[in-house]
Amino acid sequence: MTGSSLGGGPDSGVRVAAVPAPARRLAVRRWRTQGSQRLMFGYALLAPAALYVLLLVGAPFLFSLYLAVSDANVGDPVARFVGLENFRSAWEMDTFWIALQNSVLFLVIAAVLKSALGTSLAFLLLQDFRGKKLVRGLVVIPFTLPIAISVLSWKWMYDSQFSVINWVLSRLGLIGQFGTEGWPIWLGDPKLALAACIMVNVWRTFPFSAIVLLAGFTSVPSEVLDAAKVDGCNFFQRFRNIVVPMIAPILLIGFLFDTVFTLSDLSVVYLLTQGGPGNATKILPVLAYQVGIQAGNLGRGAAIALFLVPLLAPALVLVLRNLKRREY
Amino acid sequence: MASVVAAPLTRRRKELRRHALIYAGVAPFVVLAVFPIYWMLITAFKQDPDLYRMDHFPFWFNLAPTLRNFKILFYQTNYGSWIWNTFTISFWVAIITLLTAVPAGYALARLRLPGAENTGIAIFMTYLVPPIILFLPLSRVVAELGLQDSWMSLVLVYPTFTVPFCTWLMMGFFKTVPMEIEEAARVDGCGQAGAFLRVILPISLPGVLTSVIFAFTLSMQDFLYGLAFVSPGDQKPVPVGVPTELIRGDIYYWGSLMGAALLVGLPVAILYNFFLDRFIQGITGGIGK
Repeated sequence: MTGSSLGGGPDSGVRVAAVPAPARRLAVRRWRTQGSQRLMFGYALLAPAALYVLLLVGAPFLFSLYLAVSDANVGDPVARFVGLENFRSAWEMDTFWIALQNSVLFLVIAAVLKSALGTSLAFLLLQDFRGKKLVRGLVVIPFTLPIAISVLSWKWMYDSQFSVINWVLSRLGLIGQFGTEGWPIWLGDPKLALAACIMVNVWRTFPFSAIVLLAGFTSVPSEVLDAAKVDGCNFFQRFRNIVVPMIAPILLIGFLFDTVFTLSDLSVVYLLTQGGPGNATKILPVLAYQVGIQAGNLGRGAAIALFLVPLLAPALVLVLRNLKRREY
Repeated sequence: MASVVAAPLTRRRKELRRHALIYAGVAPFVVLAVFPIYWMLITAFKQDPDLYRMDHFPFWFNLAPTLRNFKILFYQTNYGSWIWNTFTISFWVAIITLLTAVPAGYALARLRLPGAENTGIAIFMTYLVPPIILFLPLSRVVAELGLQDSWMSLVLVYPTFTVPFCTWLMMGFFKTVPMEIEEAARVDGCGQAGAFLRVILPISLPGVLTSVIFAFTLSMQDFLYGLAFVSPGDQKPVPVGVPTELIRGDIYYWGSLMGAALLVGLPVAILYNFFLDRFIQGITGGIGK
């Protein structure tokens, strides 16, 4: 079935030819005017997906707004309206400010590092060389491996005593022996823990940056570049005036997706340090989880999670504007 | 004569040098990307005494490789049930995703509904509403339905991200199917539903399969929902069960932990690898081109 109909054009042409031409035109016109029936059918097909999204994303989102202004907690299901109390108490928590600061720091440092790594990798993969497919397949593994699973590998590599990273560094003479001051305890030292978590995020997402960038580069038609070359533009002019504007929308979208996922991801930090030592790696999602589920304070947890919205909103608006300009 | 021979040689030498430079540039990236996976692999097959020593070369076996870690996994933990749960969850998530996203994608792409483009974008945007905002209200929904502490709660919530993504994917996919095929089917006497089911759906099989793959791989990327909704040890999927159940207090069974992670993680990663370009096209909106 698939085989024959994949060549849909000629195949259907043969079948259509059996119907006399005027009758065919008539039938096509009749189909195009069957407006209301078509709409009914369309809405019927759309309904299940729309309902799912409305009931399990839309409604919960509104419900989280409600939770945030109530004193709901796990033990007592009957919630009372408390106004902005949850936001105010979050605002007054020292931990909240630490988490907010860590979240922003995490996002910015990780973004700089993964852009640098991703860009260099993209330029390398733009070249033609033997074994490129294999290299590409290997370097994207961090992104495709389920996150909770790859974090475990890092947790083992960051082990306080048997860290393979430390083994290498110590053999190179860069750090001291185990048990001395010079032996870094990656996840236990407040000065190193956040950097260790950022490293995992960068490791996981730099292939994504590279692939998005690569998709951008290959979307620039070579004719345009050739034309510019003929007109006497040098490499930098071509890059600045043609390549950058053409790939900017794709880059922006990739960047925004990454922002949303990095800001709202809890698994890396939760699995590595649970926000510790102290509050050294506490970020907003971890705090929201700990307050909302572990401490059972649903209202305050929801309020903390909602503080992500103003951070995410600019990204979401930009994605929206970009998608609307999408052409087919 | 000499120059004739020399010309191809230098070109070849140039080519070799170019390759050498590129490999030198790519090598650090490959090492960075692959080393943690290699480290998991070798840890999974090492004996414990080999694992906890710092005085010898750690990148290869110093004692004979062993399957003991995997035996522990299958005989002393719920690993078997996690694998089973993972597949059952993925199966039902894929079914729900197909039944909702494929028709919706078709309706939005082809039936000229008023505001179809905006509706499509609105559905896709919900993919970007992070689980960390939704998990608290959803925990109430899960509790009301009596699904807490069962893998079925994940069947309910995973489609919150697979349906938006796959609807968007299918929308782009159906836009590439020529309108004439559909018109021809209608002329040949197919009804509206007939044209969709008997003509469009079969030729869109690659797109439908892509959706199934994403329903599976995206489900495997979740950690938060599984952590928040499912606490009994035998109800968890692999990505949640391994980090939460195999770590008891401060005691780590690193060998088993790495084996458990890789046995499921690697096949998923490889599968996802093949469809990564589709994922990137999907989110950057280039799929209709």
